Amino acid sequence: MRKINFWYISSFLISFVVLIPIATVSFSFFEETSNYYQILKETFLIEYIFNSVSLLVGVLLLTFIFGTGSAYLVSFYNFPGSNFFKWALILSFAVPPYIYAYSLFAFFDNYGTAYSILKNLFGDGNYNKIIPKFDGMLGAILSLSFSLFAYVYILARASFLYQSQNLIDLGKNLGFSKSKSFINIILPSARPAIVAGLSLVAMETLAEFGAVDFFSINTLTTGIYNSWITFDDLAFANRLSFFLLLFIFALFILENISRKQARYHSNMSGGFKTKEKYNLSMGKGIAAFLFCFIIFFLSFIFPFGQMLYWTILYSENILNSETVDLIYNTLYLVFLSCLTLIILSFISNYGMRISKSKPLNILNTLSISGYAIPGVILAIAYITFIAWFDENIIKVYDFPSIKKIFFGSIIGLVIVYFIRFYSLACNGIKSGYEKINVSVDESAYLLGYSKAKTFMNIHIPYLRNSVLFVGILISLEIIRELPITLILRPFNFETLATTAYIYASEDLLEAAAVPSLFLILIASIFILISSRYILRD
Amino acid sequence: MTKNFLEVENVTFVAGGNNKVNNVSFSIEKEGDVVCLLGPSGIGKTTILRTIAGLEKVKKGTIRLKNKIISSEKKHTEPELRNISLSFQDNSLFPHYTVEKNIYLGAEKKLNGKKKIDDKNLIKILDLEKILDKYPHQISSGEAQRASLARSILFQPDLLLLDEPLSNVDQSFKEEIQVQLKKLLKKLKITTIIVTHDSYEAFYLGNKCGIILDGQLKQFDEPYNVYHFPNSVEVVNFLNRGILIPAKVTGENSLENKDLGTIKGNFIKHYPKGSDVQLLLQPEDLEHDDKSNLKLEVVDRKFRGTSFIYTLRTLSKMLIPVFVHSHHIHQHEVDEKFGIKRPIYIEHIVCF
Repeated sequence: MRKINFWYISSFLISFVVLIPIATVSFSFFEETSNYYQILKETFLIEYIFNSVSLLVGVLLLTFIFGTGSAYLVSFYNFPGSNFFKWALILSFAVPPYIYAYSLFAFFDNYGTAYSILKNLFGDGNYNKIIPKFDGMLGAILSLSFSLFAYVYILARASFLYQSQNLIDLGKNLGFSKSKSFINIILPSARPAIVAGLSLVAMETLAEFGAVDFFSINTLTTGIYNSWITFDDLAFANRLSFFLLLFIFALFILENISRKQARYHSNMSGGFKTKEKYNLSMGKGIAAFLFCFIIFFLSFIFPFGQMLYWTILYSENILNSETVDLIYNTLYLVFLSCLTLIILSFISNYGMRISKSKPLNILNTLSISGYAIPGVILAIAYITFIAWFDENIIKVYDFPSIKKIFFGSIIGLVIVYFIRFYSLACNGIKSGYEKINVSVDESAYLLGYSKAKTFMNIHIPYLRNSVLFVGILISLEIIRELPITLILRPFNFETLATTAYIYASEDLLEAAAVPSLFLILIASIFILISSRYILRD
Repeated sequence: MTKNFLEVENVTFVAGGNNKVNNVSFSIEKEGDVVCLLGPSGIGKTTILRTIAGLEKVKKGTIRLKNKIISSEKKHTEPELRNISLSFQDNSLFPHYTVEKNIYLGAEKKLNGKKKIDDKNLIKILDLEKILDKYPHQISSGEAQRASLARSILFQPDLLLLDEPLSNVDQSFKEEIQVQLKKLLKKLKITTIIVTHDSYEAFYLGNKCGIILDGQLKQFDEPYNVYHFPNSVEVVNFLNRGILIPAKVTGENSLENKDLGTIKGNFIKHYPKGSDVQLLLQPEDLEHDDKSNLKLEVVDRKFRGTSFIYTLRTLSKMLIPVFVHSHHIHQHEVDEKFGIKRPIYIEHIVCF
């Protein structure tokens, strides 16, 4: 059954295309760069690395506390609002770090929202002195932490749910208190899931562009962007990318190792039993409620409220910013990209399934590392590759240049989105496929179904829920995506994310509120639709 | 050109790039015959079925079905074109369809046309009526196995392959299904190969049995012959039906063992007088006799419902199993002496 056929070739080509940017970054490392490299090496490079590491440590610490703490409380205890917080806490996904950053800055700014509230409550006063300032590194750490802690929350909660009740009973039997059980039994068992969540947070943090750029912090990612935009040094951008990629691959490997262990940890003998949830006493219940409420409030209500407040205050911006066009453009990109990603991921998965080819599997494993590569790097690697291809292949054979087709076009955007989010789509469909025993396919063949008919009649109907879920996740990512869209969008084509960014970078935060608010609203709707999958008990 | 319904000729069966069973030859002579393949786990029985179904390719040799080559080194007919049905050991029902939809999938055209099978009766026989509306995840593994069996039979294949078809079915229900299955296969004249590790199931269902051991088809014969005339020490050990004891051939119909004395019976193969041989001694070959002067020490006693199996130790420390009907008037405890009737007479003397 192992032979080169349509499915095999398609699967091979898809994985190969996704791998091109990684290869481009690797090859560009050896190219000549301008003086910018020398200047940077002698001056800012250390600062870039120091800032990236500081940001990473701060965000990891906070997301661990927010994510694990809230997951533990909603998984093991009944307290006022525990069922509400179970799903409400994932709404923070709807707020991208850069929008959080705008809210944070605007609220605590001199004469900002906090000032207005105090003035309305207590009359005139010199409140600017007592209002704390959350900008710079602290602002970036808070923005990223509140926006990303849900990764840790979701994975830790899933791990807590699937922990063997026997383990917890054993703790009780040994006379452990609840806190001792948590530290000695529950937390170590969930460690791989928590590490996996933190690795995702780390990759997102290193890749973050919008929020760190807003707070004017120089990190490796903003360095890459600047070396290309400001200094027009593509080769150096690629060289910086290579360093960042090495760092990210170390995290990627760590995350993969943790994931494998997670499987081991969740298969404890004793099996899955519905957990007994403890009822907390009045005092502890209120404390648990406050912990979850503060996280929910700060991660979702606060940025949403700030944007809503501005939208109402400057309601003329709703018309000025051509909101309908922005929503249309955003959803158009979401639709095109989802369709491409899902169809090609389906073909790729089916090709791997029926060919059972090891080289193909290895190629695919490498290609799904695309999600670890920051959007800025992907966009630049894409430009590098197309420029090289146009120069060295297309022109040599006297074909018309392809740059116009692939640069500043919807096609270019969709291709790079595809490369960036392929792992999400591919893994999502793969996990659905893993639930279908191979003997199911073989039974279909033996009942006279061809491979195409098996694909259409057996796999697609069975996997429709997985596809819906994957589609929503991709949509969510694309709605929030900023650097790729910013670099590769067609002239005069804006999305909610790019418009919010452009207004914010021009210090027109009030005008950024409308696109930000709609972005949060649309993302929230997608999250609510998918919450039953994300939080499946 | 052979006239056999199925012909497997010098085939080397391969799974995951490794040779599983080498140089296998056997045939099913006529349509409707049932062949059972027996062997320990992981030996390659399933690989044989998968290869015949077309899910694996052959490395060497030829497989013919109804005089057409379906697998050889050069030719491979795709599984969907073979009209061979395989019922998998694990749950291979389509998870998003109900049991009923699963059962009829692939069989609709055939049932609409020349209906050979009474589908309702089949569902009744396999006790599937109550679960027709359920989905695979809502039923037990035994029920899934029966549904899968129904689907394979309703498909009306030229060749039906069953991989451990009743391994998950409750013991109480298993014998009843075996009886019904045998009747059904005979009535419908469905040629079948069954893989099982249960020798009694194989002996009951199969017209012929194949024993797969050490990467080879060791014996392919009628069940009676496999049981009574095993052709190798490996088959004896696999069927776990007795022990081999040293003996010397003393005549046309007799042997001598230094612990048991003279043993008489009919040799199935000629050995010259004076030959040293290994004699197969099965539990039913020895008869209990309290009055006998041949007394052996009881080292163990197992109660098996209709019988006891005593394990006896001879003077030279050999351990010999003996059946005694459980209604026997008295029982012997461990360390007691146990009499064996002399002279010992064995209907079929099997030696190696």
